[in-house]
Amino acid sequence: MKHKRCVVTGLGLICATGNNIEENIKNIFGGISGIDKVKAFSTEGCYAELGAEVPLEDRELSGDDFDRATLLCVKAAEEAVSDSGLDLSDEKTRNRTGVIVGDCVAGVASIDRFYTAEANGNGDPSDIGKMTATAIANNVALHFNLGGVTANIVNACAAGTISLSMACDEIRAGRADIFLAGGTDSFSSLAFGGFHALHALDSQPCSPFNRSSGITLGEGSGMLVIESYEHAKARGARIYCEISGSGISSDAYHITAPRPDGEGQMNAIRQALNSAGLSPDDIDYINAHGTGTAKNDEAEFLSLHTVFDGNSHLSVSSTKSMTGHCLGAAGAIEAVISVLSLTKNMAPPTVGYSDSDLETLKQKAGKIDFVPNTARVKNIERVMSNSFAFGGNNASIIFSKSLSENTDKPCDGSKKIYICGIGRLMSAKPEDNPALSHVEINSGSFSELGIKMAFYRKLDRFSQLLLISGVRALKDAGLSPLPEDENALDFGISIGTSDGPLTEIAEFQKTIVEKGAAGGNAFSFPNTVYNAAGGYLSIFTGIKGYNVTIANSAQAGIQSVCNACDILTRGGEKTMLAAGVDENTHITEQLYSRLGLLGDNLPYSLKDDRSPLGEGTVSLVLTTEKKSKTYAQITGWGEAHRSVSPQDPEGSEPAMADAVMSALSMADISVSDIDFICGFANGSKSVDSFELAVYRSLFGKNLPTVYSSRSETADARAASCADQIALACSLLQGGCHVPSIGNPPEKKEYALCVGYGCGGSYSAVLLRRTDN
Amino acid sequence: MLVENLRIPQEALDYDSELFGDDIGLDSIDSIEIIAGIDSLFGVQMTGVAKEHFRSVNTLTDYVYNNMK
Repeated sequence: MKHKRCVVTGLGLICATGNNIEENIKNIFGGISGIDKVKAFSTEGCYAELGAEVPLEDRELSGDDFDRATLLCVKAAEEAVSDSGLDLSDEKTRNRTGVIVGDCVAGVASIDRFYTAEANGNGDPSDIGKMTATAIANNVALHFNLGGVTANIVNACAAGTISLSMACDEIRAGRADIFLAGGTDSFSSLAFGGFHALHALDSQPCSPFNRSSGITLGEGSGMLVIESYEHAKARGARIYCEISGSGISSDAYHITAPRPDGEGQMNAIRQALNSAGLSPDDIDYINAHGTGTAKNDEAEFLSLHTVFDGNSHLSVSSTKSMTGHCLGAAGAIEAVISVLSLTKNMAPPTVGYSDSDLETLKQKAGKIDFVPNTARVKNIERVMSNSFAFGGNNASIIFSKSLSENTDKPCDGSKKIYICGIGRLMSAKPEDNPALSHVEINSGSFSELGIKMAFYRKLDRFSQLLLISGVRALKDAGLSPLPEDENALDFGISIGTSDGPLTEIAEFQKTIVEKGAAGGNAFSFPNTVYNAAGGYLSIFTGIKGYNVTIANSAQAGIQSVCNACDILTRGGEKTMLAAGVDENTHITEQLYSRLGLLGDNLPYSLKDDRSPLGEGTVSLVLTTEKKSKTYAQITGWGEAHRSVSPQDPEGSEPAMADAVMSALSMADISVSDIDFICGFANGSKSVDSFELAVYRSLFGKNLPTVYSSRSETADARAASCADQIALACSLLQGGCHVPSIGNPPEKKEYALCVGYGCGGSYSAVLLRRTDN
Repeated sequence: MLVENLRIPQEALDYDSELFGDDIGLDSIDSIEIIAGIDSLFGVQMTGVAKEHFRSVNTLTDYVYNNMK
């Protein structure tokens, strides 16, 4: 694996300040705000009524039948592709192009529409498939018919920045040459009602680093074409800049508020500088998070002054004063603006300062130029963009105009990855109704792990599930509480989910439908973001490193393990907790049954497409240091995608084969070395028969024994995928008696685990037995 | 209201339990919900009211009782 340079070759942007790059340049660098009265829904009874909306209807964005967040993303991606000069009519190029989208509130426009109609009993089932974040990147890939890896990064307001960092990781892992990467979010009564309930909205246009009396919400999408330098050069592309470094950290402090001492923010900023080989003095402009809340602005002032006070030529601004806070899209929109500031040699302003505000700013700003009201023309070589999110997630990224020295250097191939802890909580199928199974959680589940009621009471079911398996896995690995000699910054988290905290989101939306935007609930709102679960886990355990949540259908439970392995080998972290989690409640039951997907088929029974729905969570502790107890070694991993309909995997065979063969090639073994497979069959005929057909074409007559983790637990989606790895560990160690296709293998040395995701995504992990 | 909106297990809640103490551990976001809940149930405004009235179910009850129109 080479440390390839990653460059930006195309930009696309749509938000309240413009429908394309050209309009946005005119307004954002001209200091013209897009904030106006909210039009998407009634703000009756609310103390605030402002927002920054895109003035286009869904059908004006794209002709596709997607959720609004995806349509915004398609519009920005179309512009970025055209700007980059990429020829996507070429199949080879399409198959080397992936999509990673950051997002916060997922398909919230469809959720709102469904539950508004459902109040009268006529919710449209076609809205159900558009509700989760999973659909976004896969639908964007489908729109362009792409065949590179997809992922949705759902780390709330840091998602749009993290997605760019992950795109670089994927390019360096060799899984694609090009990514359409960025973020998207639509304007929603859910986010408005939530921030209103938290009293975090400003009644006037937000005023970051100034009045700091709250945020103004926005919507939009920013998309970048990111390529390996070699690929961009070979096709003669215009290169805007290099992505020269990034940093991702956790506060481990509070679910909504940032650490007042700015420690987590500074950890991300310093990590970005280190990975780029730069010092604070090298940065010319910072596009700040700058939401305009008192808590954010105070903490950010402190971190900026602490890290950058020696820099006498630094400009900092918050363009949220014009675009509004676009949540999951914010980091990506600001990345596009940051790249534009490099190319134009101009720092965009923070607007909203009166004459008396300017006097106050002088005292707060010190040497830093906060670019009040009008853009600053200056030479800009390197730009940093920062994003800080709910859940205590921080992300920082650096763009450099001139390319770094050729940094192609092999990654440390000697690093071995071991599974040294497993935490598992999976539903067991009840005999009376095998189609629906649930996990039992009670006060004892928490007290045995030392988790107090004051802590777990605030968590929704999704977060509670993850917390239990996460702490169990850490205890199993002897890492809970974190030992004193363990550096919390070298410890990261990667979580995969199919449907996220859909229950909390749907219940919140139902309240807004019933009571209006003023009726939002401050208690449950923080749990409606997908990364709340990872946030609570870091707060409880004190883990302060990498923290990413991936929503990408069931296979996200294995993709999170692949992601964790990438982070471990790239040298970022020494230990990673990787998990899969999905819940089954009255909400998921209602939605899956409305789609006619519930049944009691056993895996590989090949009857029809109705499968049992379960819930659960599996966490794995991965480390590069062999501990006294290890379950298995991970010797190879792979991810791949081929765009197909979300309803049927047909046509994505090459992607499944790609994921498996990449894992085998990394481990330097061949198909005949595989002793058994833990497969993804869930009881749905089209999925199960597809899986077996691909195995038969890969393995020929010598099909290894195939086990299914879902025969007893039902399909807990991402949790079941992570559970395939737990099952493989147990089988490698000689345990476990579960039904199999084929006779139990004589030798158990190598196990293959494959995950499938709707839309044609696959992840594979190869395990090898370790002798303790 | 405390059990439903703030997910405090009923068995953990007595009339004089310390709401903001170590066991139940309410915080500022919870107090927003208490204020909103009491306003909608009893029509009593508690925004800006001194902290000691939020100490327990008893102190909240006393305040609401004394301030109902």
